[in-house]
Amino acid sequence: MSKFILCLICLGIASAEDLVIQFASPVAAQSYQFKKSAFVFRTLGCPSDVKPEVSATAEGLVDGQRQSVSLKVTAVQASAGNVFAIFREWSNQGVWIVSVKAHCGGKSAGVLVATDAQGIVRESSTVLNHPATEKEIENSLRSGKKPRGPAD
Amino acid sequence: MLDTHPSDRLAAYLDGELPDIERNRVEAHLGTCARCRHALELVRSGRTALQHLPIASAPDAIWSAIETSADFRTRRPPAVSLVWRLAAAVLVLGIAASVYRIWSTRNVTSWQVMALQGSPVAGSRRLSGGESVPSGKWLETDASSRARIVVGSIGSVTLEPNSRVRLLSTDASGHRLALGAGGIQASISAPPRLFFVETPAGTAIDLGCEYQLHCDRNGTGMLRVTSGWVALEWKGRESLVPAGASCRMYAGRGPGIPWFEDAGDGFLRALGDFETHRGESLDRILAEARTRDTLTLWHLLSRVEAGDRVRVFDRMATLAPLPPGLLRDRVLELDTQSLKKWREELAWTW
Repeated sequence: MSKFILCLICLGIASAEDLVIQFASPVAAQSYQFKKSAFVFRTLGCPSDVKPEVSATAEGLVDGQRQSVSLKVTAVQASAGNVFAIFREWSNQGVWIVSVKAHCGGKSAGVLVATDAQGIVRESSTVLNHPATEKEIENSLRSGKKPRGPAD
Repeated sequence: MLDTHPSDRLAAYLDGELPDIERNRVEAHLGTCARCRHALELVRSGRTALQHLPIASAPDAIWSAIETSADFRTRRPPAVSLVWRLAAAVLVLGIAASVYRIWSTRNVTSWQVMALQGSPVAGSRRLSGGESVPSGKWLETDASSRARIVVGSIGSVTLEPNSRVRLLSTDASGHRLALGAGGIQASISAPPRLFFVETPAGTAIDLGCEYQLHCDRNGTGMLRVTSGWVALEWKGRESLVPAGASCRMYAGRGPGIPWFEDAGDGFLRALGDFETHRGESLDRILAEARTRDTLTLWHLLSRVEAGDRVRVFDRMATLAPLPPGLLRDRVLELDTQSLKKWREELAWTW
């Protein structure tokens, strides 16, 4: 009986909505002010009365050397929900990936977003249920798909 | 979004004195309120007029007229009194001249146009360098010329070689061009629906974007959006085209169905067939569609009959499930709000 109750408790915990970071091209912000952003993201699963804590860094591999650039995260006021924009603040040289982290109500989430000249590269991006670790960032940088060619 | 009109904050907004959050709210309101956009232009015009008040020297005859009408004595008044009277006369003349200038030019607008290459022609006049061209004139380029058109304070348009565009109105409610033939590249940074380009196949409405628009002399056109969104409208038919997507325009039929430029060849062939032949091409469109192609499928919802609409919906729901709170029946009824909400959610998957 106690095992049954324990399972019910675990099921209850597991079924509570997880915190998720969803990312997209700037058009998803539905706001002209962010059309030039690199991408936008939003947090899902955060209680409506709680503001998520978000941060982002650009993680790069330039000439074999690791670099990290702290990025400004801009809230998109015109959009419903917790929507944020990231503008490109990292070098054109080397390979880069943006690590976004979110914390809300005791929950955490992360995403590694790959971009190229034409925008986000979903196939090379990873959604995580935790902030990305250094190892995950390294793996993503070293094994990321070859960027698409330049736009026409 | 603001619930009231921010009339008391427009001057501060123009001067860049509002905090970021307040500025964003005002800008979002301006995007949907023509009345406030007009008020903003009046504030801007008034400020410009004050900055350009001329200082005119009163002719000597003025004093004689004033003296006569006031029945003054012939002897000259004291020097101090004369200076003040002249100053008053100058001020009155200056204000009168400005008011007359504003009143006489209120219905005449002009565009700032610059020759980027060669000698574009405005009306019957060849341009060199930058000039002010009155509204209503045609601006044309040949194979070796290009021009730039300044769109108020919100952006610019480049007229490509072998192109012609008519400079329509430019005022507080918006800026309008008419593309006769050839191509333009527009770069606009402003709240939505302030810049319009008319073509025989519909009107391209800027929603805060950058795009290329081509049109042949038969009216068939192609829109390619590189940033933001553009709406294409023609007699109630609308296509919404985001960055990374293109859309054809057909004279007498309006905008076609947008597609993302990285769509598969099979999907694009099927879409092309649909726009010309219909029939079994819908099956191929649905079979070849990726998640990102829900942009195209979303537009198809309102372009097919009810029976086919169910098939389009079902395929879309497989690729990108209907968001919570939206009802299948409402979407199939083409409920505007339901379709809008689904499109906004789909954009997070593109």
